[in-house]
Amino acid sequence: MATRGIPRTTLGEDARHEGFLRHKGFRWLKVAIALCLVCLLAYALIDQQPRPSGGTAYGYTLGTIATLLILWLTMLGVRKRAMTRGRWSLKGWTSAHVYLGLSLIVVATLHTGFDFGWNVHTLAYALMLLVILSGLWGVVAYATLPEALSNSRSEMTRPQMIDAVVKLDRQLQTAAQPLADADTAVVLRALADDPFRAGLFRRLSASPRGCRTDGALAGLRRRLALATGEEAEALESVVALLERKSAALARIRQYLRLRALLEVWLYVHVPLTFALIAALAAHILSVFFYW
Amino acid sequence: MPFVVRTVSHSAEGREIVRSSRIEADRLTIGRDPECDIHLTDLAVALRHATVERRGPRLAVACERGLTVELNGRKVASGETDVATGADILLASHALRFMPTPPAAADVALNVERITDGAVKLDKAGERLFSLAPVMPGKRGMAWLLFLVVLAVCIGWPIKAYYDRQHRTETFARFQADEIWSSGHLSRAHAALQHDCSACHVKPFESVRDNACIACHRDVHGHADPFRLARARPDLTAWGRLQLRVKQAFDLPPGRCIDCHTEHQGQQAMAPTPQHFCSDCHADLTAKLPDTPIGNAGDFGKAHPDFRPAVITGWAGDRPILQRLPIGAHPREQSGLKFPHALHLSGVGGVAQMARTLGMGAALECADCHTLNPDGVRFRPVEMERNCAMCHDLSFDRVGGTLRTLRHGDPAQVIADLRALYGGRTLPRPAILSPFARRLPGTAAGERGETRYFRFAGAPGADAAIRAVFSPGGACYDCHTVRAPPSGSLAYRIAPVAFPARYIQHGWFDHRSHASQSCAGCHAASRSNAAADLLLPDLRTCRTCHGGERTRKPVASTCAMCHDYHRDEGAPAMIIRQRIGAERRQSVARLEGGG
Repeated sequence: MATRGIPRTTLGEDARHEGFLRHKGFRWLKVAIALCLVCLLAYALIDQQPRPSGGTAYGYTLGTIATLLILWLTMLGVRKRAMTRGRWSLKGWTSAHVYLGLSLIVVATLHTGFDFGWNVHTLAYALMLLVILSGLWGVVAYATLPEALSNSRSEMTRPQMIDAVVKLDRQLQTAAQPLADADTAVVLRALADDPFRAGLFRRLSASPRGCRTDGALAGLRRRLALATGEEAEALESVVALLERKSAALARIRQYLRLRALLEVWLYVHVPLTFALIAALAAHILSVFFYW
Repeated sequence: MPFVVRTVSHSAEGREIVRSSRIEADRLTIGRDPECDIHLTDLAVALRHATVERRGPRLAVACERGLTVELNGRKVASGETDVATGADILLASHALRFMPTPPAAADVALNVERITDGAVKLDKAGERLFSLAPVMPGKRGMAWLLFLVVLAVCIGWPIKAYYDRQHRTETFARFQADEIWSSGHLSRAHAALQHDCSACHVKPFESVRDNACIACHRDVHGHADPFRLARARPDLTAWGRLQLRVKQAFDLPPGRCIDCHTEHQGQQAMAPTPQHFCSDCHADLTAKLPDTPIGNAGDFGKAHPDFRPAVITGWAGDRPILQRLPIGAHPREQSGLKFPHALHLSGVGGVAQMARTLGMGAALECADCHTLNPDGVRFRPVEMERNCAMCHDLSFDRVGGTLRTLRHGDPAQVIADLRALYGGRTLPRPAILSPFARRLPGTAAGERGETRYFRFAGAPGADAAIRAVFSPGGACYDCHTVRAPPSGSLAYRIAPVAFPARYIQHGWFDHRSHASQSCAGCHAASRSNAAADLLLPDLRTCRTCHGGERTRKPVASTCAMCHDYHRDEGAPAMIIRQRIGAERRQSVARLEGGG
């Protein structure tokens, strides 16, 4: 209670959250912009003979810078496993990774001199662009998705989300006991529903297509319309439970969709980075092999 | 014969709870229906799933149509077993164990136990389930797989292609794996080498050397003595020295063919060599090589020495003396011919009148006498018989309908023919045409011929006629330098005539490329009254259109437009490439005659 009167401004700078994008007042954004401007200016001023390409003095210089940058950017995979604070904090490192990585678009493109072809050199460039674009996706995902992700849980923890389904399954087991064999088969299939078995694309689309719970719901609703007496009562309670389960599953699917969007870029970013390093090795080796 | 059913369940703490009941019947019904003897609350169990009947020492199991149970580990629709051995029946999540019972015993004991948790499969400890990881191939695995695939395709495969080729000598017409290393198409001139990287890249990790070029280009000569070339090189700045160091460190010796002839720049003609490759040395050549006869040359628009055409400045006997003199010094050409261009091009006077009579227009034009060679570069030499004789007829006698003409180029024959004409006779009658002067068409000219005849008729005879032909006013004298005979002889001779076939010997000029210009724009022929006038244009004339590499003039001109680094004769390679699209063809025009 004693802290209630303290005005916000007296809190230290560190007290407020500063994401890796705005780290130290966009320090690395400024560095990256400066790097791009220097490269662009040099491209405009230096007369590359016979025409701009990776094979001129300017091209070799930018190529060396870009190679070192790529290797350093890759080191984030190692660096991120040690979380530290201070001048070279992991946050600062990540900030530099993002902005210097983006600056590679300019540095490497000027290195090529817009001289493209069907060869390992352009392959390395294309892989690099894919890695950068997937990284850009990651940055956008990290900036926008976490909020939507926590909203989609509607105040539930992840175990609670599963628990809800498990409980409904139990209730279904009981409620479906009086049903005829044909109906129980439908309920059984609905019970076997596992939203986590969906692969990448099903998760990304969050589509209820092929959801057996929804199928069972539709089938039993039709049965309910024709049923009478005790059977109708039993069907009614099963249908009500299936409706609740369908909603619970939809919530899980929506959450899975957001998680997939948040994570999928790394499955492009990391493997393509290794492909890029191999292509880069081929690019450099081929230049010197046929020097 | 009753069954004793023991229903086993477990408390939350795992304690076993057993409830026993007794069923007084030989036949047990099993199902989800509460009315069954053994009621199993599992949706996977049908309402009436199966029956078990004791038939003496045997137990018979029978399922409803279409249903099965697992009897002693085998899936069956019906089956039998001994009471003595007992039976294990698995039905969805439940296990029914009939205890081994002596056949004589009255009761059969039966355990019913739920052994699995039914269809509830979700595990709430599965925090990891929400992540993509369980449904995706591992990042690390994919990374290494891609890494190795790219290494194999982009490094392993091309290197294998390189070493495979080492043992073969044929030409390579099909794709080779190391072509994926190529940074761009070869120029069209080298297109045949496209599949054979090692034609130029002879050794791995060694830069391309001139030997690789010379292997095919055997007849290309160097630019100059290598030592003089080295001396002519400009002093390096500190930056230049640094560049040289770096290049040498990376095995890039300076002065290689490929410094100028860059390759892999695409499927086009080789790029024209930039001006600075020449001007680096030539802009200040005299400082580096004081003994050079070549003037300093930088940008054509600003710094180019005066043209120095090869001019015939005199004669050593019958051989012309060629000298290269600056055009600014207005050299006189001693061609041995008398020819006033101004008179011939004039729109008034006798020549114009003649042109009109011959139907050649209002006046003579350059093209009436000067014909372009088929290659369009230079002109055919002017010849008396083809060009001059249109007007300057040498006929001297008529026999029937045939005119006899003096033989051009052979004074002795001329003298003999004239002697034969007179042949010791006095002139029988006036010749219709005068042998002594040019025939001029029309009556006026004819009358003039008559007059001439009568002039000589006073002193008729061959000697007088010969003298007249070689003297002022005579047919030979007007155009040629006549060498007088020794006294007492009539052996007149004519000084030889020669013109250089090529005035500018180290620069290229192509007339066809300049066809849009009028002749008079460059050659001041209409103002020239003597054949000795050199009618070549000077630098200023060229510069009205041509500037240097970067200019506002209509034609930007690098050195390579007129000069070739490797060759003196023929068109510069750049022009050839422009004109015929990089396909090399011999295009050498040699210095004809005169020289």
